[in-house]
Amino acid sequence: MTISAKGGRSAKRLIGAIAVVASLGISAVACSGGGDTSATGGDGTPQPGGTMTVLLDAGFAGGWNTGLDPATSNTTGSNLPQNSAIFGGLFTLEADDDGSNAHIQPNQAESYSWSEDQKTLTVKLRQGITFSDGTPFNAQAVLWNWIRGLNSGSSGLVQLDLDSSAGAPTNLSEDFMASLWAALPADVDKNAVNADLAAIRVVDDQTITMALNAPNGALVNGFPVANLNLIASPTAYAKLGADAFKLTPVGAGPFVITSDKMSDRLELKKNPTYFKSGLPYLDTLNFQSVAGDQVAYQTLQAGQGDAIEGLSSVTLIQQAQSNPDVGVLLTPPTSPYVVQLNTRTAPFNDIKAREAIYYATDFDAINQGLFKGQGEMSQSFMASGDLFANTKVDGYRTFDLDKAKALVKELGGLKVTLGTTDIVTARAVTTALQTQWQAAGIDVSIDAKPLGDVITTFISGQWESMLQTAGSWDPSVGIGVQVRFGSTSAFSGTPLPQGASSAADALAKKLTTPLDDLLVKAVSTTDTAARQQTYDEIAKYISDQAYGPFGMAFSPAQVVRKGVHAPGLTTKIPALSVNSGVLYDRAWVEGGK
Amino acid sequence: MTSTVETTSIRTEGPQGLLGRVAGSPLLRLVVRRVLIAIPLLLAVSILTFALMAVMPGDPARNMAGMNASEEQVEAVRHQLGLDRPPVERYLTWLGGFVTGNLGKSSVSGQPVAQLLAERMPVTVELVLLAFAVSLLVSLPVALIAARRPGGIFDRVVMVISMTLLAVPNYVMALLLVLVFAVSLRALPAIGYVPVTTDVVANLRSVTLPVLALGLPIACFYARFLRGDLVEQMNSAEYIETARAKGVGPWKVLLVHAFRNSSFGLLTLVGLNVGGLVGGTVIIEQIFSMPGLGVMMLQGVGSQDTAVVQACVFIFAAVAIFANLFVDVMYAVLDPRIRYGSR
Repeated sequence: MTISAKGGRSAKRLIGAIAVVASLGISAVACSGGGDTSATGGDGTPQPGGTMTVLLDAGFAGGWNTGLDPATSNTTGSNLPQNSAIFGGLFTLEADDDGSNAHIQPNQAESYSWSEDQKTLTVKLRQGITFSDGTPFNAQAVLWNWIRGLNSGSSGLVQLDLDSSAGAPTNLSEDFMASLWAALPADVDKNAVNADLAAIRVVDDQTITMALNAPNGALVNGFPVANLNLIASPTAYAKLGADAFKLTPVGAGPFVITSDKMSDRLELKKNPTYFKSGLPYLDTLNFQSVAGDQVAYQTLQAGQGDAIEGLSSVTLIQQAQSNPDVGVLLTPPTSPYVVQLNTRTAPFNDIKAREAIYYATDFDAINQGLFKGQGEMSQSFMASGDLFANTKVDGYRTFDLDKAKALVKELGGLKVTLGTTDIVTARAVTTALQTQWQAAGIDVSIDAKPLGDVITTFISGQWESMLQTAGSWDPSVGIGVQVRFGSTSAFSGTPLPQGASSAADALAKKLTTPLDDLLVKAVSTTDTAARQQTYDEIAKYISDQAYGPFGMAFSPAQVVRKGVHAPGLTTKIPALSVNSGVLYDRAWVEGGK
Repeated sequence: MTSTVETTSIRTEGPQGLLGRVAGSPLLRLVVRRVLIAIPLLLAVSILTFALMAVMPGDPARNMAGMNASEEQVEAVRHQLGLDRPPVERYLTWLGGFVTGNLGKSSVSGQPVAQLLAERMPVTVELVLLAFAVSLLVSLPVALIAARRPGGIFDRVVMVISMTLLAVPNYVMALLLVLVFAVSLRALPAIGYVPVTTDVVANLRSVTLPVLALGLPIACFYARFLRGDLVEQMNSAEYIETARAKGVGPWKVLLVHAFRNSSFGLLTLVGLNVGGLVGGTVIIEQIFSMPGLGVMMLQGVGSQDTAVVQACVFIFAAVAIFANLFVDVMYAVLDPRIRYGSR
């Protein structure tokens, strides 16, 4: 009896302990309460001091396996947070607090201008900037970086059509050339480097020019996501050597690296020689790579992180929105989903098959079902955050099941393979599309593959339809409209020009389609109104030709703990490509901690 | 003459000398035989890994060069990585390098694989060893107490809890532990790793949750197994009855007689578990942002970094194979019948 009683008490204690643990867990999961989603507090006056730890998804911004040297990194476009902190940038994308009036602003550059024929870009640098190693940030340093960026194999470079007809420059010293050759790959094409040097010229200590064969209205807009924006110290490179420089590059940004564990953790401290008086506010800034949204959110809740850049799980975003201890910022999206249709092969070489897909697709329902209505619907490659925002297109074919069924019947049936990148959200969308299309009598099979394989499939041309996103803040930058719909792009399914057997053949024979001509026209001027008109025409053309139905545009959320402030984290800046660019020199924390 | 005498002397003394005794040892023969079997096994693992990496969908050269790269740039990267050479030639090059101690360079970061391994191995080793320690420290007393009174309250509660925890996958366990101990109680860090050389206390704090996430399910497994085996021994073994008849107390019967026999089964289980435990670090290290071999392998697979994946898989396989060898040796040490039976 005694033993039994002891056992009973033990069991009660055990069950009690389990109940406590369980209730703690439930309260943590539930921790909701309504409230404040601004995450701001105090009087909003920035305070110096303190530390901020930013959590980044290991699969995107939190991966920097190829290092942080702008010339050799292959993740420049996704490592915007690290780059912003280390290098600052010649130009930044800024906006009013609500995300409106987004514009490119000279940062380490003082200004930029175009020649009258709009073929020569002149960039003037601010006076008195030094790299954090004390060496001067001047036009020669920019030239050194740009030439390296164009010739070192980084995927972060901008495609440039440089005009090298001016011949070899004469104002470059032997020391400069020796430093440049030493920093380029051993097997670099010297003729290509010399051609680039002919096109990009140092005018004086603060001025550099870039000559193009044709105007490029998207060039400066693309700087914030390109390695040309990131200027590193040539002296530091020579001192450290290539391998160490990948780990601890030296820039003139607001912070300097104190520790870099690649794709794991990056620790930085305030740059005491930063060129903006009183900035940065923070003493230290850390970037921590984490395994996905769930871990990121839990880490923030555990107090080990102050901000999450780019939380994309809709469920967690909703949970965060109802958590009074954190603030959630949804930035204006710029990249709508699109189902690209390959017009070069059956069945989508027939416009009726393409129309059937348009009529069978109900992206609104998918937006409600999968994205809880958080996505923003668009009928083009532009969303509200775009420089040329236009989400409505005249004559766009909207969901109409009867019309879809009739077209499928007229075609005698329709069998489609729908490709996608093998990530959770994309798979969910393709599964929903499969169900919708099947309701219209279309026989659909899904082909989900890793990104690398999707790229290979695109290049092979052996695909029928692909779920992708298209667009960026400037539609012709990054994975923009040119990449998705230009006939000679490897990632496009629009028709080849008449008389061309392949993209290479079209390029060799200089053949174009009417859409190609529009795409060229859209960047052939720096006049914003003219560009806007052309992008509207392009959206209408794509819609009329039924090259691919567009869906919802969705930006990952910025999530911060209370008391954290930064442009791009707590005020809106449109997503440059996927995530917003955060301006870390103006990041601050209340109470300096 | 002198040397002849000496040689003869050694030869004569051989079987009785230390070397001779060792060479003649059945235990040593067992070890040598198992090591010889391990070599082709490891070779097979390396071939299989290489083949799987080679047939994996995707193009590592394109991944490296990036989406904007031209075909010429991609081809240049392919050449640089050696991917334009036949797979057999690439494998033999890797094997040649491996045998001579050159593990190659990561095709992504350019860092020597040996250096990466040296940096990351301590994290995984610490995790695995502590997880084993936790699993044994938890399971042994729990199993013994439960087996002492089968069907009692403690036994029933332990069985229910262990069954429940066994059904929870590692990553769910990890997230639950973080939710309770890091998010709610703020008692332990949710992510990160502090090397023991930096701060011992911070190190222990940083590994506690990952070690529990790894070790607790195994502890449940061991506890259930050991408890079952002990109960069976206690109920049916003749030597237990004999001990009881001699008046040996119930705890002594359990600890001295039954446990000694049951420990053989547990030992086997430990050996079999090593592979699973090391594999478990892949997920756990990722969830807790720990810079160990598991994360390194996962990143290597994602970027199709063959040299990194080859090295990691090789180490994981070697650990599993040699853990089993260790168990066999321990068996032989504990039970001479096995040692001599192996002749």
